[in-house]
Amino acid sequence: MISLKNKKVLVTGASSGIGKSIAIQLSQLGAKLIITGRNELRLSETLILCEEGGHTALIADMTVESDINQLVKNIEEIDGAVFCAGIISYIPIKFLSNDKINDIFDVNFKCQVILTQKLLKQKKINKQGSLVYISSLSSKLGVAGTSVYAASKSALSAFVRVLATEVAGQKIRANTVSPGIIRTPLFTNSETSIADEDFDNKENAYPLGYGNAEDVAAYVAFLLSDNSTWITGSDLVMDGGFTLS
Amino acid sequence: MELNAFIKNFEKQFDDELAEPIHAYTVFKEIEEWDSMIALSMIAMVDEEYTVKLTGNEIKQAQTIEDLFNIVKEKR
Repeated sequence: MISLKNKKVLVTGASSGIGKSIAIQLSQLGAKLIITGRNELRLSETLILCEEGGHTALIADMTVESDINQLVKNIEEIDGAVFCAGIISYIPIKFLSNDKINDIFDVNFKCQVILTQKLLKQKKINKQGSLVYISSLSSKLGVAGTSVYAASKSALSAFVRVLATEVAGQKIRANTVSPGIIRTPLFTNSETSIADEDFDNKENAYPLGYGNAEDVAAYVAFLLSDNSTWITGSDLVMDGGFTLS
Repeated sequence: MELNAFIKNFEKQFDDELAEPIHAYTVFKEIEEWDSMIALSMIAMVDEEYTVKLTGNEIKQAQTIEDLFNIVKEKR
């Protein structure tokens, strides 16, 4: 039985998608949350859907260093953090540019690193704390259009391995989850490069179908709990069997 | 925004010379060399040249190159 009672957990990217689902599920397991995101309305919605627990919602744009400074300054020591903020973009390599590379790397990699750096520097992570980073199955595949997205997630996974080594002395753990396609607004927004019909057809390549945000949330909860105290530096692929074929 | 220029930009996304000449009324998904990579390149080209975000659904619904042109023109 997983319990997160008495654990204070920071969840970034909590306004939507995987981050929102994680926040809700962690609250149901007894965690006291600090949730953050850019969109005030959607963040408030996440807060309303969480189980009562004295949670805090703080608006912050992770790509703005002063916002990260404020966020870290305003929080008490935490027992865990889940790094969910991320963007996807399908750009063929011949259309890349410095700006496009920077935009994706800023959100998917740099701001996660900077937030981690500040949390550690200001000693905001309790001993035996658990840090969980949402990477992507794309980092291990070669899907057309995902060069920079995949590279940014790969960079994140590599960073977390080193982080796990550096914080082991404090018994702090750092792990990554690499999900395959999850039905969230990132993918089901009708303004994407993939037509709805094609998105639905591609699901046939997943023996267990596309995932749900709750599937990822369940594993994240496990990593944050005392049931996983010997697990660090791992990167779990959750893909409904996609990579079997 | 000019149709002939759009057709030229469309044609540039193919790596090799096309087997058949293309026109405004060409049903683009029936072009032999058309594939998902060209579709992605079209979306990226339209974003770069016309600052318009063409979606997968819009490409799915369009039939001719002129249909695509009109969608992009409408969104500008």
